Amino acid sequence: MAGHQLIDGYLGALARRLPADVVDELADGLTETYLRHVSSGLGRDAAAGAAVAEFGEPDEVVAAFVQHSPGRRVARALLCTGPPVGLCWGATLATSHAWSWPVPAAARLAFPLTLLAVVTALAVAATGSRSYRRTRIAAPAGLGLIALDTGVLAAVVLIAPPFVWPMALAIPASLTRITLTVRAMPALLSATGIRRPPAGR
Amino acid sequence: MLLLAALSDGPRHGYAVKEALREGSGGRFDLPTGTVYPALHRLEAAGLIAGSWSVVDGRRRRTYRLTAAGRRRLAADRAGWRDFAAAVTALLEGQPWPATS
Repeated sequence: MAGHQLIDGYLGALARRLPADVVDELADGLTETYLRHVSSGLGRDAAAGAAVAEFGEPDEVVAAFVQHSPGRRVARALLCTGPPVGLCWGATLATSHAWSWPVPAAARLAFPLTLLAVVTALAVAATGSRSYRRTRIAAPAGLGLIALDTGVLAAVVLIAPPFVWPMALAIPASLTRITLTVRAMPALLSATGIRRPPAGR
Repeated sequence: MLLLAALSDGPRHGYAVKEALREGSGGRFDLPTGTVYPALHRLEAAGLIAGSWSVVDGRRRRTYRLTAAGRRRLAADRAGWRDFAAAVTALLEGQPWPATS
């Protein structure tokens, strides 16, 4: 860090809301800015003030990162897949009389509850504009969606109901969504955590 | 496109990219520095630039360079911009319509 209270405070405000790698990158840029102002003849306080002003308000910086965060982007994409994939499976379950499938009562209850939780989490991640932490909910939501798709595919394989034409759409749709979600998971999981600031910052 | 152009001369870190934009535009593009970094992250996620970490003066520094896809995108964007600018200039100044490349 630049060793100036104003800059350290600014970075502390960002560290509470952004991943550690991002804060390290911003700290380097802010220190460079500060040193450039010092070398141009400004005093330390004036240089720190100018550097912070040049970076922009913390809210503005955080909002820009949230807008481009992988969690927000992936959550929006997965939410868009909900209606078409859900329609395919709804038609499949209705035409194959899924209510007569030998599914345990616990699974009948767990599936819609998990679906509700996943959709809620994706909506939370997709609509955040000021909180990076909020976009990180997309990772567990993505895992939940993979579990739901896998579960319904497993049910079809294990129960082996008579073939109905909507299955020809629903099964590839779920397989495609599982593939795309698995491919997105590294980006969702690789973002390092938000660093807990030391006491007193 | 401007961020890609700022990296066309070689790898730069975020603050250097911002300074290249400011100096290269005669001060017209003086963006809030903090908002340049998210845009660089977006370009990296799109595969147009690649970042790598190093340690400079005890600080972790992320430096970005154009990827092959980024060079192709920059070349296409430059060509598109030249055509667009030539067409607007022709309209505003009454010159003959330029041949498109």
